[in-house]
Amino acid sequence: MKTPRLRLPRNWLGPAALLVLVLFPFAMALITGQPVTEGAPKFWQGMLAQMFILAVYAMSYDLLLGYTGILSFGHAMFFGTGAYLTGILLKHAGWPLWQVGLAVMAAAVLQSLLVGLLSLRVRGVYLAMVTLAFAQMFFILSEATDFAQWTGAEDGLHSIPAPRWMNPTDERLRFYFISLAFCVAIYLIVRRVVESPAGKVMIAIRENENRAQMIGYNTFVYKLLAVTLSGVLAALSGLMNALWNLNANPTMLSVGVTINALLMTIIGGVGTLVGPMLGAAILQLLGYWLNAFFGPRWPLIFGIVFVLIVLFLPYGVVGTWQMRGASWRSTWAERRRRLAGWANEGGLGRKN
Amino acid sequence: MFDVFRRNRPLLVAVLLVALIVFWMSNRYEPKVTANILLSGLTLGALYFLVAAGLSLIFGLMDVLNFAHGLMFMLGAYFGYTVYANPRIILNTLPLMLALGGGAMAGAAPASWVWARLGAAQNKRGALIVVWLLAGALTLAGIWRFDLQSLAANAATVAGGAIATGQAQEAAGALAARLGLLSGAGLALGLALRSREFGPGRSMARNAALGIGLVVLAFAIVPARISGEAFILGLSNNLRFVLALAVGALGGAAIGALTEVGLIRPLYSRPIYQVLLTLGLVYVGTEFIKGVWGPVGYYMDIPDYFNTRGGDCPSPNLLLWFRDHCGSIDVLGRPFPSYRLFIIFLGVAVFIAVAALLRYTRLGMIIRAGVQDREMVQALGINVQWVFTLVFALGTGLAALGGVAAAPFIGVNPGIGQDFLLQSFISVVIGGMGSYPGAAIGTLLVGLARAFGDQLVLSGVQFPGMETAVKLSPSIARASTVLIMAVVLLLRPAGLFGKKE
Repeated sequence: MKTPRLRLPRNWLGPAALLVLVLFPFAMALITGQPVTEGAPKFWQGMLAQMFILAVYAMSYDLLLGYTGILSFGHAMFFGTGAYLTGILLKHAGWPLWQVGLAVMAAAVLQSLLVGLLSLRVRGVYLAMVTLAFAQMFFILSEATDFAQWTGAEDGLHSIPAPRWMNPTDERLRFYFISLAFCVAIYLIVRRVVESPAGKVMIAIRENENRAQMIGYNTFVYKLLAVTLSGVLAALSGLMNALWNLNANPTMLSVGVTINALLMTIIGGVGTLVGPMLGAAILQLLGYWLNAFFGPRWPLIFGIVFVLIVLFLPYGVVGTWQMRGASWRSTWAERRRRLAGWANEGGLGRKN
Repeated sequence: MFDVFRRNRPLLVAVLLVALIVFWMSNRYEPKVTANILLSGLTLGALYFLVAAGLSLIFGLMDVLNFAHGLMFMLGAYFGYTVYANPRIILNTLPLMLALGGGAMAGAAPASWVWARLGAAQNKRGALIVVWLLAGALTLAGIWRFDLQSLAANAATVAGGAIATGQAQEAAGALAARLGLLSGAGLALGLALRSREFGPGRSMARNAALGIGLVVLAFAIVPARISGEAFILGLSNNLRFVLALAVGALGGAAIGALTEVGLIRPLYSRPIYQVLLTLGLVYVGTEFIKGVWGPVGYYMDIPDYFNTRGGDCPSPNLLLWFRDHCGSIDVLGRPFPSYRLFIIFLGVAVFIAVAALLRYTRLGMIIRAGVQDREMVQALGINVQWVFTLVFALGTGLAALGGVAAAPFIGVNPGIGQDFLLQSFISVVIGGMGSYPGAAIGTLLVGLARAFGDQLVLSGVQFPGMETAVKLSPSIARASTVLIMAVVLLLRPAGLFGKKE
């Protein structure tokens, strides 16, 4: 089935990328001449750490949109709830981090089961609408003054007491490696899920739900599984995000965060795992540069980029490369050949 | 007998629900409070209806879930507000848009003729790239350094007052140069957009004439900017309000039509991407509004027709109100703002007008048939594309009209779109997507529930086993409509009036 030529880069590229990322802080320090824990190396470690966290969030979304074909517009609610729960449990309850992690996962399972049970009763764009409504409910509740003593209402939760050993400001390098490990671990888990029989059923649902049902799969259960898994992963990335920012605010529950998940997935490539990670990196870098160029209104440019991508590059970077890569390569080879032939005939200096 | 019940079950359920809410309220509160809550609920319901009607029609006819509908509501509100309080932005940007649009129309008219004569596909592709680049470059040149923000800077100027009109406006010559560039860009754009359709275009000459007319109009506005502004600001604020309603609705409809033709039409084969696109538009539009008008909100004042004070105010009844035009009307001993009654009236009027359009006109017949079976309508030789554009424009125009009407009531800020979109979504999910009466009933239910919820959380909720009532914030009432939707979804996934899958 697979030719050895295709398999080689797949087995080789991942570990190589990991190696590059592991060596990155030290390479950066070497190049800039600054110590690893200060200055530019520290800044870029932070950028990359955020990318890793966003990458997990994007992957969790792709599990829904790209693999199961569920268009959810409420993904921010898992992310934000994870962040909020982390903040509340660390700040107000003073739980140790591992307990907080378990609690966040348990809460995410409950939340996604509840939302899934209700919203999966409808399909397609209806589901998008219903999930959006649920997400907005959480957003509104996070801003409500009734729970201000726990959530801080519109201001959100500030100065969450993260454990000192992984404080993102003092122990940046350690935080970098923790988030890298987090991202890699989640990637491996999701890849395992996607390649498992259950994952194949999810893909079958994406392709044709009626047919999957006809074969005898209870598609509802598989969809619920996908929603739950994706919810838990998003909540975990929310947890990491709260630890990175040391705060949790209503913005994390807003539609903008859901749109970010969409952007990352669509830009990178729907239905691939590398795509969303790449999308997260692109979003983070583009956001940083656009912010530097255009000031606070940079999302305007970003939105236009998104619209253009939806119109003209619907399969994202990775998807388009997978589809067109071979033909592009052959086109360029053809052009090179023609150029060579033209040069052989005399090129510019030929005389008629 | 029983057949009637069975056929009208959703309606009966809806009526029962409304009756239940009203009964509960009248048991709990004095009649004057109940009446007040009911009217507030109807006001909100009317506004939600203006948004939800278009949403539902658009979805029913073309299966497009327009997430940008809240944005259209908001744009309408901003357009209306701008015309009302500071028409300068409109007068300076309208020519630009007219030039681009008119140019595009004029360019699209001969497009099929031009492209058909280019011959080989290779030539065509090259020419297309050149034309696109030309359009992009000319547009960029046309809007380069156009200072929208300083035009909008005194958007908060009190209407009717003296504004230094010369400031922040570009000289007529510079603006005319921009218009020239943009009409060129429009020509290229029209050529590029129509490149895929071959064969003789219908009414080529008419489109071209219309396009050229628009461009000429754009140039004509330039010298009349200052006097036009003075004229609009010199009108009484009632007339200005009517103008705001018209401009807002037409602006919304125009933007809707452009969106459908330019952005949504290419994606009919990829439904998910249509939704993503509209979501992207929300992103762009909200940032655009924040960029032009700033992140803070404005309040539009209520026109004098609904805002007279002193004398016999508040009017004891509706008939006397027509004489006094008081700011509020006495309803069972409690004053109720008369402007909100106008919103209710507007909602009902639009409901009846659109219902009549759907029921008694040929267009309405085509729309109803299209909701049932789009392919069949197309097969019968009806230009469904044109109907799509029209319905899209109608829907967004209604939402924008709602936005203008809402502006004096809730104010204008970059967050209103999202809130109204959410409540309209909930309404149409309750009523059933694609059903016009469903949208009306759904919005009515949600409006009443919101008004009731607001009252309930303000006066406090007494849970069983608690000494004192718990006071809650209005956010809880906003969030609670989602619960209603959840209940309806559990019982009837397709909504009250929706078709079963």
